[in-house]
Amino acid sequence: MKKNQLAVQARHLSVRFGTFTAVDDISFAVRPGEIFGFLGANGAGKTTTIRVLCGLLIPSAGQAWVAGLDCQTQAADVKTKVGYMSQRFTLYSDLTVAENLAFTAALRKLDTRTLQRRTRELFDFIHFDYPQNSMVSDLPGGIKQQLALAAALLHDPPIIFLDEPTAGVAPAVRARFWSLIRQLARAGKTIFVTTHYLDEAENCRRIALMRDGQIIALDSPRRLKASAFPEPVLEIEPQPGTSREWLRKLKLDPRVARIQPHGRRYHVLVLNGPAWQGIARRLPKTLSLRRIQPSLEDVFIRLVEAEVSA
Amino acid sequence: MSSGFQVNRAASITRKEVRHIFRDPFTLGWAFGLPLFFVIFFGYAIDFNVKEVRLVVSDQDNSRASRQLLEVFSGSKYFKLSQLPPGVSPQRDLSRERAKGVLLIEPGMGEALGSGKPYQIQLLLDGADNSTAGIIISYLAGIQQAAGKRLLNQTRSAPVRLQTRFLFNPELSSPWFVVPGLLAVVMGVLAIMLTALTVAREWESGSMELLLSTPVKPLEIILGKLTPYLVLSLLAVAMIYLVARLQFGLPFRGSQPLFLVGVILFLTLCLAQGLLISVVTRQQALAVQLAFLAGLLPPLLLSGFIFPVESMPAFFQYLTMLIPARWFIVISRGLFLKGSGVVELAVPLGMLLGMNLLLVAAALKRFKKDLEP
Repeated sequence: MKKNQLAVQARHLSVRFGTFTAVDDISFAVRPGEIFGFLGANGAGKTTTIRVLCGLLIPSAGQAWVAGLDCQTQAADVKTKVGYMSQRFTLYSDLTVAENLAFTAALRKLDTRTLQRRTRELFDFIHFDYPQNSMVSDLPGGIKQQLALAAALLHDPPIIFLDEPTAGVAPAVRARFWSLIRQLARAGKTIFVTTHYLDEAENCRRIALMRDGQIIALDSPRRLKASAFPEPVLEIEPQPGTSREWLRKLKLDPRVARIQPHGRRYHVLVLNGPAWQGIARRLPKTLSLRRIQPSLEDVFIRLVEAEVSA
Repeated sequence: MSSGFQVNRAASITRKEVRHIFRDPFTLGWAFGLPLFFVIFFGYAIDFNVKEVRLVVSDQDNSRASRQLLEVFSGSKYFKLSQLPPGVSPQRDLSRERAKGVLLIEPGMGEALGSGKPYQIQLLLDGADNSTAGIIISYLAGIQQAAGKRLLNQTRSAPVRLQTRFLFNPELSSPWFVVPGLLAVVMGVLAIMLTALTVAREWESGSMELLLSTPVKPLEIILGKLTPYLVLSLLAVAMIYLVARLQFGLPFRGSQPLFLVGVILFLTLCLAQGLLISVVTRQQALAVQLAFLAGLLPPLLLSGFIFPVESMPAFFQYLTMLIPARWFIVISRGLFLKGSGVVELAVPLGMLLGMNLLLVAAALKRFKKDLEP
């Protein structure tokens, strides 16, 4: 791949199934070595976009390039440049670990020595220490997930598409998986990852928020937060059992834009910057109060609300 | 597409598929259990020859002549006689399924024969079961001849005598007739089902997505996946062949290589049907149901396996031409029983080949369209 060449580029991409528009005129670019996150609810069009980029689906309109190759006319070459881990577990449960990897290697025409070397490297990478002749069906869920990643990386692709790689796995396994993703990015791989866990998206260099087939925002997490919430956000945590009188007062305060409950805590949006200290002084001392960075979830809610009201 | 068909990739899919087959006892169980069950079941259970037909007799003449007539009936191995109790309606035993027919001899038979007058006896048959009734009627001709000889001392034969000899299956043995046809029915349903299952499983488990994300070609997937099932089906055919020869004593009078050609033509047609079904359903459960429907019913009803094509209404006769099993049954019976050669079997072989070209092309096209972006 040439230097400064974009890893992924989409231009006015649309995919329609009959009358349903799954992807609606989206454009974006991913730089090499970036962790690029695709966020959105189920059905927002994330998987459809990935399938176009991996050469599995022809777009209804627009164009896409991966590693400088046209996804439509050079699909076979694109497939050699990308590793794709689909949302569903795609290894064969009735084959052993070694058989699964050998099969993937054969489809990609890797020779035996390359297969052995890559298997060693990848097993080190994911800390896989089960026997190679274990049946895949006997492995724990999180290990299977990492093995699927290893299979997608077998041919050492420069660009890796991960479609909801952490759906339905335990939080500890999710954290472990993300540390693998970060390591890959440090090694220079481009990672294109979809998720609907907003906390995970903080790991991405840039994220695109998708809704109903469209990208409604695209930027780094920090700048997304800054642009969605130019005003300060306060987090208030009342002691259990304290009176709610302060909450009533706060709701009436003209400097408060909105109050949103987050479990036991409250996120308070203040209309202008300097006002927040004034508000803080008027609250009872039993409340713990601090200024926080809004979460991506706050950002997502705000952007979707803005969309709906617009 | 940058590269063409790769034999190695197809072979690695075949290797994987063989592992699936050996690790899944159901596939092997189906492949050998189903044909074995069908052949044993149909070979023994379907007997088109009716023996020991139960007849109830009401002999009101009770003369020497009438008793001689009854001896002729009971002397043949086809009938088993019992007396109708006095005062009972003859229809009673028919409607209670105790007898297939009632033989009524009214008084005066002995006298009539003594004076050389014609005399009629009455046989009531259970018409609800018309296939048995038809067979009984065919036996009556023989009984009549034997009775004439016995009662009237007709040693002189009729001036014109029709002598029937059955060629190819002289004893009219049912397994001889059934098993070669059964081969078409059971192998059809099996091959269609195995194919539909193996491709649908790949869709259902999501692993088709893995295959497609690699540079593998649809044709490689198809050939790689279907080759082991073609071999498996051929082994099942070999098993049925052995059971037919050794257990049911069938002859094989034709050329075995020609048989292999016919079998392969027929099986590839079935594989193509299975492929089409799996592309349409993409689900194993649905694929099995459709495979049974498509694989079992038309061959059972419209192939001439049980109901002769020649006696169907014209529309259905034309319809049968679209059923691969109809042509394969002609080949199978021709080779097992008649010793037919390429010339005699040119039409069915040609039909199978033609259908192959059409259906395999259609299935491949549909499958490729489904897989390619």
